[in-house]
Amino acid sequence: MSRTAARLLAVIAAVSLLAAVPAAAQAKKIITISGSTSVFPLETQLARAWIKTKKGKKYGFRILQGGSNVGISDVAHGRVSIGASSRDPAAGDPGGLVFTRIARDAICMITNNANQLGNINQATIKGIFVGPTITNWGSVPGATISGSIDPIGRAPTSGTHDAFKNIFLGGTNQGSFVAAKSSNGLVQQGVQSDPHAIGYVSLAFTQGVNTVAYNGVACTLRNAASFQYGGVRSFYFVTRGAPVGGVKKFINWVLHNNKANKIIATDWVPLH
Amino acid sequence: MRRPDGLDKAGPRKSKDQRAELMLGALACIVLALIAGMIIFVFQKAWPSFSHNGLDWFSPWAGGNVDDQLTAIFESPADPSHYVYTMHAWPLLFATALITLTAVVIGTVFALLSAMFIVEFAPEALRRVLEPVVRLLAAVPSVIYGLIGILVVVHFFDQHLISQGSKDSVAGVVALNGFSWGVGALILTVMITPIMIAIVVDALRAVPTTWREGAVSLGINRWRALWTVSVRAARPAIVAAAVLATARALGEAIMLSMVTGSVGFAPNPLDGVIFFVEPARPLAATIVDNAEGLSVQPFAQTLYALAAVLLISAAFLSFAGWYIRRRLRAYTLSPI
Repeated sequence: MSRTAARLLAVIAAVSLLAAVPAAAQAKKIITISGSTSVFPLETQLARAWIKTKKGKKYGFRILQGGSNVGISDVAHGRVSIGASSRDPAAGDPGGLVFTRIARDAICMITNNANQLGNINQATIKGIFVGPTITNWGSVPGATISGSIDPIGRAPTSGTHDAFKNIFLGGTNQGSFVAAKSSNGLVQQGVQSDPHAIGYVSLAFTQGVNTVAYNGVACTLRNAASFQYGGVRSFYFVTRGAPVGGVKKFINWVLHNNKANKIIATDWVPLH
Repeated sequence: MRRPDGLDKAGPRKSKDQRAELMLGALACIVLALIAGMIIFVFQKAWPSFSHNGLDWFSPWAGGNVDDQLTAIFESPADPSHYVYTMHAWPLLFATALITLTAVVIGTVFALLSAMFIVEFAPEALRRVLEPVVRLLAAVPSVIYGLIGILVVVHFFDQHLISQGSKDSVAGVVALNGFSWGVGALILTVMITPIMIAIVVDALRAVPTTWREGAVSLGINRWRALWTVSVRAARPAIVAAAVLATARALGEAIMLSMVTGSVGFAPNPLDGVIFFVEPARPLAATIVDNAEGLSVQPFAQTLYALAAVLLISAAFLSFAGWYIRRRLRAYTLSPI
């Protein structure tokens, strides 16, 4: 047994040595990010582009997901260098955190393709998601079906729920009769399979469903960029204190570089 | 000094057997310590939630809406002295019990009958296909069942089994759109039945052929011999199968989170037929859906309380299973 174990140990040691050599040769500083699943696709693209630049060459990235609240808690405890958040700073957040806005994202109201609802206003959304004072599509002007309304939403822990609450519901919580799904994709799927459903998702999740205009403005990237569309939330990089060193360089590049702007503009709204 | 079995006790080289014994013993101890550590950890984390609510945590009459309570806990102020803990988890407990029991009861009947067919009546060619398929089905990951549920079963329930009239009758209270505890229980049944079939088949095989031959020689037919001799003798194994299946059903999270409707609602049997298509959300699915909020301390403690209830139920379940099997063995002749 002991001989086998020794042989095994030797193999493990050899393998780890081999793995350690190139890492030591480059000696890159690692920037760690954790947090929002909504920001994840954006931050990975940005990080990948930045490490190809002159300044970014010296750095490597380790990026994890987990949700906005995970990111904020991780950065507050010093477990990561940057926390990614898709929700605004809240009163309950730990002190000393700096939220740097890096991009904007639109939240769209969606219905099933059988229900070609063209426009919805804030009062109607409140009636459906908070009341419930509106429970029948017959009393929603513009709906192309009638019968019960099935509201589909997100769990209270999600950043999208927080943004929906603050922007569309004016700060009130959605009612407990609203299905609380755990991801954008599940809301999209729920709306896709149920003609009577209405839900809210990030702009990137609107394929295969009917996207509804909010207060008369269509939910598109262009309208969100021109600030005509009201349902826009922010993506943040959260740091403990003002960003320093490599993190500062990275965030500055994200905020001011043209290439970064182009990456953001593919699916999200750049700040300028 | 030599031992009577010829093994040297204090020799310079210990026998390989003894070393293996020590290794295995140490491994078993590590597992026990891990389990004990886990239980202590979970309960220590969960304690504030239980102590703030007392028996209201479990009571069906405590009132309030569990989803509103979860939101309030999540939005607790940062000051620890103002943490919100009010949690009346009855709808989640009820949903868990309802879904698990329904699935296990239906699954046990199906598993028993299928196992009897495989062991006694299936033609050899069919049996050679059936058995590997059953074992394969028992190993399918639950997220795949969840996907099938959401893409096919939920949609089918919504389109063909729920009338617009009944949807309208409860609009604004719950949405009847196919996502329901009924779909959850149905898919769960499909998930746990193969495990039970596999166990019961092995148990029926283990019954000595002579016992059944004896019964047949007394003049009863194959079916009755199987039912009165083999199945009776295999009862401890059937209980074991049911316990194992219940444990899997209790802990099932992903599939149930995907298909049961994501609403903390206690389905009401008095509602008539629509009871079966009312949404719910069991304990494990609640933990999965809300895991993102673990960074908020009172919310994490509440989730740990849900986990503690699941842990205790699982422990109690295996104890009950062990007790029933012991009783059955004590009073019946059993080869297993």
